[in-house]
Amino acid sequence: MRKKTIITFTVITILIGFMLAIRYNSVNESKPRDTRDLWDLREDYMEAKEMETKLLQEIRKSDEKIAKYKEEMLNSPEKALLETLNELKKEAGLKEMKGPGITLTLYQDNSLILPGQMESYLSPEVLRKLLNELNMYGAKEISIAGQRVVNTTVIREIQGVTKIDGFPLRVFPIEIKVIAGTMEEAKKLYNRMQVSSITDSFIIDNIGVSISEPMEEIVIPPYLNTFKAEIMKTLDNEGGV
Amino acid sequence: MWLPVLGLIIGVALGLMTDLQIPQEYASYLSISILAAFDSLIGGIRAHLQNTYDEKIFVSGFFSNIILAATLSFLGVQLGVDLYLAAVFAFGVRLFQNIAVIRRILINKWTDARNQKNLTK
Repeated sequence: MRKKTIITFTVITILIGFMLAIRYNSVNESKPRDTRDLWDLREDYMEAKEMETKLLQEIRKSDEKIAKYKEEMLNSPEKALLETLNELKKEAGLKEMKGPGITLTLYQDNSLILPGQMESYLSPEVLRKLLNELNMYGAKEISIAGQRVVNTTVIREIQGVTKIDGFPLRVFPIEIKVIAGTMEEAKKLYNRMQVSSITDSFIIDNIGVSISEPMEEIVIPPYLNTFKAEIMKTLDNEGGV
Repeated sequence: MWLPVLGLIIGVALGLMTDLQIPQEYASYLSISILAAFDSLIGGIRAHLQNTYDEKIFVSGFFSNIILAATLSFLGVQLGVDLYLAAVFAFGVRLFQNIAVIRRILINKWTDARNQKNLTK
């Protein structure tokens, strides 16, 4: 091969290689870029941190329980089981709960009703929004008009009447009791509800909301209906740790 | 003989180091250009082995093929017809043909050399 030919070939192959590499780069680097700024990252980090603490706490609780089981296995297996059952009942909302919290009262705001206008109407959407907001701000247990709100609680409109788990919410005032974890948290919840815009959503339906000061002890009744767990199944093999 | 292979490696290294990227819309043009370039390169090698190599034809063919292929796919995008397939087909067929010719030439050369060796023995 002549020298000039070799040089030509080399230049051409360099070009081809360059094009190949660029193609490779463009195919590989089309992943979405991480555009989070410092604050976003900090928030994500905090969230992850909180999750970690929560998980650690849960792990510790489970560990303690296992140790307890092992310890009490020989002496009295029923006692440990009963305790667990009680705990589960508490978690599911089958036990009366006491604790610091606040009370919200939904009342008919007559000053807002114009002659010829409909009466106050409590819409399930707004009520659900309120529950979401309460849960978001740290509510542990909630009851509406004496009806405990549990995981399977349904709030919906049946024939023009808003019902919670089949119980009609027709008679005003309706009391919503909320328990927060501690007095501190109850105060926080109170403050957050004070500035919340949820009251505006109620006013559209001629309902006023009054929020009580945080109280030391609020009693929330247990869930009285039976749980219907239709989709749930027991595990075939015993779930271990 | 090894210089072109080294050139390919240098080209790839350069491309990776510069971290150059082209937008997704133009990726197909680059792909078709690479195909055209390969076609020209293989064609050049074949011509060289058949002793019909012409520098001017090779270099001009390289660039005109690339430009033609990219233009064709651009036209295809504008017309809404997948014209780049024509280029892919043409280059693909030629690539296979050229590689087959190169293979035959190399095998012939190899067998000739072996026969010569046997004769001298």
